[in-house]
Amino acid sequence: MTALIEITGLRKQFGGLTAVDDVSFVVAEGEIVALLGPNGSGKTTVLNMISGALAPTSGAIRLAGEEIAGLGPHRIAHKGVARTFQLVRILPSLTVGENVMAALAFRHPPVWGGAAEARVETLLEEIGLGGRGAERADNLTYIDQKRMELARALAAEPRLLLLDEWLSGLNPTELQVGIELILSLRRSGMTVLLVEHIMEAVRALCSRAVVMNAGRTIADGPTEAVLADADVIRAYLGEDHA
Amino acid sequence: MVRALLAVIFFAGALAALAWLPTQFGAYGVGLLLGMTGYVTLASAWALFSGPTRYVSLATVAFFGIGAYTVAVLSETLPYPLILLVAAAVGLCVALVVGLATLRLAGVYFVIFTFGLAELIRQLVTWYEVNITGTLGRYIFLPISGEQIYWQLLALAAVTIGLGWWIGRSRIGLALKVIGDDEVVAAHVGINIARVKLALFAVSATIITLVGAIQAPRWTYVEPSIVFNPTISFLTLIMALLGGANRLWGPLLGAVPLFLLFEWLSANFPNHYSIILGLLFIAIVFVMPQGVLAMVERGWSRVGQRGRKAEPAGTEAAQ
Repeated sequence: MTALIEITGLRKQFGGLTAVDDVSFVVAEGEIVALLGPNGSGKTTVLNMISGALAPTSGAIRLAGEEIAGLGPHRIAHKGVARTFQLVRILPSLTVGENVMAALAFRHPPVWGGAAEARVETLLEEIGLGGRGAERADNLTYIDQKRMELARALAAEPRLLLLDEWLSGLNPTELQVGIELILSLRRSGMTVLLVEHIMEAVRALCSRAVVMNAGRTIADGPTEAVLADADVIRAYLGEDHA
Repeated sequence: MVRALLAVIFFAGALAALAWLPTQFGAYGVGLLLGMTGYVTLASAWALFSGPTRYVSLATVAFFGIGAYTVAVLSETLPYPLILLVAAAVGLCVALVVGLATLRLAGVYFVIFTFGLAELIRQLVTWYEVNITGTLGRYIFLPISGEQIYWQLLALAAVTIGLGWWIGRSRIGLALKVIGDDEVVAAHVGINIARVKLALFAVSATIITLVGAIQAPRWTYVEPSIVFNPTISFLTLIMALLGGANRLWGPLLGAVPLFLLFEWLSANFPNHYSIILGLLFIAIVFVMPQGVLAMVERGWSRVGQRGRKAEPAGTEAAQ
């Protein structure tokens, strides 16, 4: 398996606070990897540096061998990275269709006009929002907003998809649907790095997990082994449970 | 296809009728038409950039004044069409420089910067005229009649609104809407935010510069306090807001009635004009911050919803 994304010695400092400290891991082509850790451990910051929302203080991020650390988000998007956000970000004054269209129109190469409209409809169909393209995005329920956000990320046909707690806030039935959706992405060969707190989903989806605590990686390996690791349990649940 | 053809014929006819209007009016009427068309163009050009991005610019008069001054300086050395080209080029260059420097600023900082910019350019021109040329004012003697100015402005207005229509259906229009909603999402779907904003700011500023240049011969005498008068920026802004800066026809719908109202006010209440103007500004921002068109549309959709709610009930009863 070839490495799609290779992170080495990644650091991010906000003034005196080191949010991410010397993090290194690799995600291979076609893998679904979980990035775990307690709140404030730096997971989202790592995702933000990969997508270009934040520039690293130091360290390297290579996408298929090409250095992308410090590039602007639109340039990283053009290289094939798409993401969803921890707090779902919709474009409220646009329609559901336009929300997805936005990703089609500005990817490389762009899709526009009739072809784009057809593609939007297919994507909405796949994600469970078929025929609702004309609705205003801010009228959608929370789960449908999350669906739309995923459709927007998929519209870019990314090589690497970053999901930031995309499954959180769903009820048990919706969770099953969500897990099924992500599994179908794996079957299509997409590489996914996801930040998630729902262990049920992590076990079902991810072959490998990377665990962070206080800005550092404390474990990296097959999901089951990592979740049984004493350090990981200590980080999540405290000293008594280890 | 037939609809599009009909629309083209309709607008061509409307434009021809507007172009024919001056023959029916005296000098005062032509002056009124000219001023009105000028503000329609200014408000439409302002809304091209500020409408979708929600970056409120008070630099309108900076570009307007640059256009007028370019004409004043060059009126005796270059043929008229060439002067317009030079004015547009100067406006474009200033817009690119200013845009590169300021489009990183967000919200109120951008507003303040653009206001400061207009004042800075006015003071620079004043300083230059007083210290280098020695006289504050300049005369413009160009053999261009009121009608001719009106026709030029009419053409520019048509181009501006046409451009707005085209942008609305193009990729750049979608980019602007996305940027207006959420810049983080915009960047993450691959939009080069800085480039889109800069392009729109430059186009908008160039049109505004041309309005100033085309109107310049009308004054005969110009000085910084006339052509760099900040009221022009405020009037443009309030006209676009009244009509709705996010709609194609919004700025036009705001500019026509407000321009006529201001004309009437300045003729009948010359001493209280500024006070009434201020009160009007406040009233517009309070009563309809989204503009008249948005208000009408909301009213319509409410009526429509009531109609739709009534319908299913009717069909159920029939079943």
